[in-house]
Amino acid sequence: MADSKKPETSKEYLAELTAHVPPTSRRDFLKKGVKFSTSLAAVAATSEALSDNLPPHVSSWSKSLGTGVVSTPYGVPSKFEENVIRRTVPWLTADKISSISMSPLQELKGIITPNGLVFERYHAGAPAINPAQHRLMIHGLVDNPLIFTMDDLMRFPSESVINFLECPANGGMEWRGPQMEALQFTHGMISCCEWTGVRLSTLLAEAGVQSKGKWVLAEGADGAGMSRSIPMNKALDDALIVYAQNGEKLRPEQGYPVRLFNPGWEGNTSVKWLRRLKIGDKPWHHREETSKYTDLMPDGRSRRFTYEQEANSVITSPCPENPWGQKGSYEIEGIAWSGRGKIKQVDVSIDGGVTWRPAKLKGLVLTKALTRFCLPFKWDGSPGLLQSRAIDETGYVQPTLSQLRNVRGTNSIYHKNSIHTWQLQSNGKIKNVQLK
Amino acid sequence: MYSLNRILIVFALTAIPLLAVTSFAAETGRYGIGKTATIEEIAGWDIDIRPDGKGLPKGKGSVLQGEEAYEAQCASCHGLFGEGEGRWPPLAGGEDSLTEDRPKKTVGSYWPYASTLWDYINRAMPFSAPQSLTPDEVYAITAYVLYLNDLVEKGFVLTQDNLASIEMPNVNNFYADDRPDTNNERCMKNCKDPRNIEVIQSLRGITPDQKKTTAEENPAKSKLSEAAIEGKATYTTSCLVCHASGVAGAPSLDNKDDWAKRLEQGMDTLVKRAIKGFMGESGIMPPKGGNMSLTDEQVSNAVQYMVEAE
Ligand code: HEC
Ligand code: HEC
Repeated sequence: MADSKKPETSKEYLAELTAHVPPTSRRDFLKKGVKFSTSLAAVAATSEALSDNLPPHVSSWSKSLGTGVVSTPYGVPSKFEENVIRRTVPWLTADKISSISMSPLQELKGIITPNGLVFERYHAGAPAINPAQHRLMIHGLVDNPLIFTMDDLMRFPSESVINFLECPANGGMEWRGPQMEALQFTHGMISCCEWTGVRLSTLLAEAGVQSKGKWVLAEGADGAGMSRSIPMNKALDDALIVYAQNGEKLRPEQGYPVRLFNPGWEGNTSVKWLRRLKIGDKPWHHREETSKYTDLMPDGRSRRFTYEQEANSVITSPCPENPWGQKGSYEIEGIAWSGRGKIKQVDVSIDGGVTWRPAKLKGLVLTKALTRFCLPFKWDGSPGLLQSRAIDETGYVQPTLSQLRNVRGTNSIYHKNSIHTWQLQSNGKIKNVQLK
Repeated sequence: MYSLNRILIVFALTAIPLLAVTSFAAETGRYGIGKTATIEEIAGWDIDIRPDGKGLPKGKGSVLQGEEAYEAQCASCHGLFGEGEGRWPPLAGGEDSLTEDRPKKTVGSYWPYASTLWDYINRAMPFSAPQSLTPDEVYAITAYVLYLNDLVEKGFVLTQDNLASIEMPNVNNFYADDRPDTNNERCMKNCKDPRNIEVIQSLRGITPDQKKTTAEENPAKSKLSEAAIEGKATYTTSCLVCHASGVAGAPSLDNKDDWAKRLEQGMDTLVKRAIKGFMGESGIMPPKGGNMSLTDEQVSNAVQYMVEAE
């Protein structure tokens, strides 16, 4: 994943950064534009001068009719939100079929990621599976090898949980130094959904796991035959066989019609398009747990089966995409999460980690879920170095980058969960930096 | 009152045996849902291989046989010597590089088990036609990739019996997760000397463009022929990997000059070469792009799409 290959092209980044703020020239153009006072609201909205819809004028949409029901049978966001999309870093991988995209964290509110914005990771593209022709097989060291249809799976008692899903390569592009002038690219390989399905332990009991069965091989039906070895204690603890997310059936990108979901663990273990679970007495050491998803240490040895996503956090406002404007009151806001349980506390620093203030956790504080934190802040226009530091219920404190590098060097690719620094400039812009 | 009680009693009596059945089901974990998987059904999907060789099918393949198959089906992406074309993964080299500043992790330098190579080639390669190789082909190609990494001799024949005994150089260098490995403390005041803070700026110019890309998603002005529209899906799944960016000498879709020259040979020739395979001056075009499950018509439509696409 995070091969630190540099792209050849150089882009004028700041121009892009301001692209979604309406520039004055565009406003001038709109002002001069023709007015359609009685035409469709949609046309009017883009063609009219901005001020014509502001008080004391009555807005054009108050003087006309909107679109009727089922004009979009499956609703879509306002067209003014067209910039809220998943994005990829094209130079990371050779092509889009085995690649990753990131969630637009800079635009998201609360803790739930809408289904269309959940980050994607494929090893051989997202297959188009007909659920009527999909089967889940359980076999190996079991008394009753079984095959389930989707209808079968939905007859079992179901459970819903809110958990984050994160790629262990999240942030992995920045082990050696800051690279990405956007929150979406520094931290966007994470999403959080309500997942619904049947407990894996229920299916295992149905098949009758034999006493020698200590590992479960999960295998996808995609062209990568994505496979991972899962220890039995996780399978019996909180692993779910999931068929729905945020109230609707899984999206194809997320493993439609059925996937494994391992709360708190690196995303690739939650094998999508799940077709097979095999019970064995030893792990399989397949490609995605040897060549990939192992963590190379400075001594040349590697950690394997590094399943847990350790506590992490990042400030989402301000961030490079959400700069501050004039001086005054703001809320410093962000997300924190831990694969080991609940977030207990988040601290915020505005001076690069010299002093810290406790932030407030807001909304739901759930185990292995995104958790919102905030700190009201009066900005006087001074520059600063903004950081957040998460502490989870095990007492683990999110490390600094140098603490991580001291142990792991810079070549372990995965699990970079260090404290992140945004440099606040006196013009309100935010730069992605690291501190030595 | 009296009659109501009677109804309740009758109801309770009939309910008892029902409850007993359901609680029994919950206790043993047997809901009776799903059907027994037959031996044949399991055999068709049971493809996983373990380091001890468990799961390997009967078969064999030599380095020499593997060389031919590898050059036809793998070299266009992974390089003739496993060095990796463009940004496709290398499969060989990198010995003793794991402690270097830029380690090169390959089958030879990094992978702990040979079984993983057999398993992965069998389940996922060639990239555009996974699960299309026969067991003997997988043995042969695996042997050849091991040979490219100097792990076996040129005369070596790989079988289900000797695969587990191949010792990979890096086998003893993996260990179980021992995190947490940091011990940060929750300091609140005077946590460091502000004079020692050094700010490292990010490298400029590598953050991707964040404007919405609507160009290719605009279906309104499709000028494609019907065959080309049919062919687009085949192109995307089986040809794009090489032809989108021009991997290993494949003419990339937007190189109109190259395609114009190729078209001079006539459409029939292009289609024939796409179906039968073709070795030209710039590289190897595998038959049907390596996906032998495609019909001739599908390939022909894909070529039509490639020629027409803008
Ligand atoms: C069209 C290009 C292409 C062709 C042809 C191809 N591969 Fe691959 N190969 C890939 C890609 C892409 C990956 C990485 C997939 C991923 O990211 O999961 C890969 C990964 C691999 C890996 C794992 C590399 C690693 O370090 O983890 C092996 C081994 C491999 N291929 C062997 C083969 C063999 C053997 C063949 C021929 C039978 C073949 N490949 C044909 C594109 C190709
Ligand atoms: C593994 C990489 C690869 C894949 C996959 C692939 N091609 Fe090619 N293709 C090539 C290369 C390399 C050439 C150039 C050969 C030369 O001219 O030297 C080529 C050339 C061609 C040509 C031009 C032949 C000529 O006479 O000039 C056509 C047509 C073509 N490919 C069609 C297809 C179609 C259709 C598919 C999918 C079904 C496909 N290719 C998949 C590598 C690939």
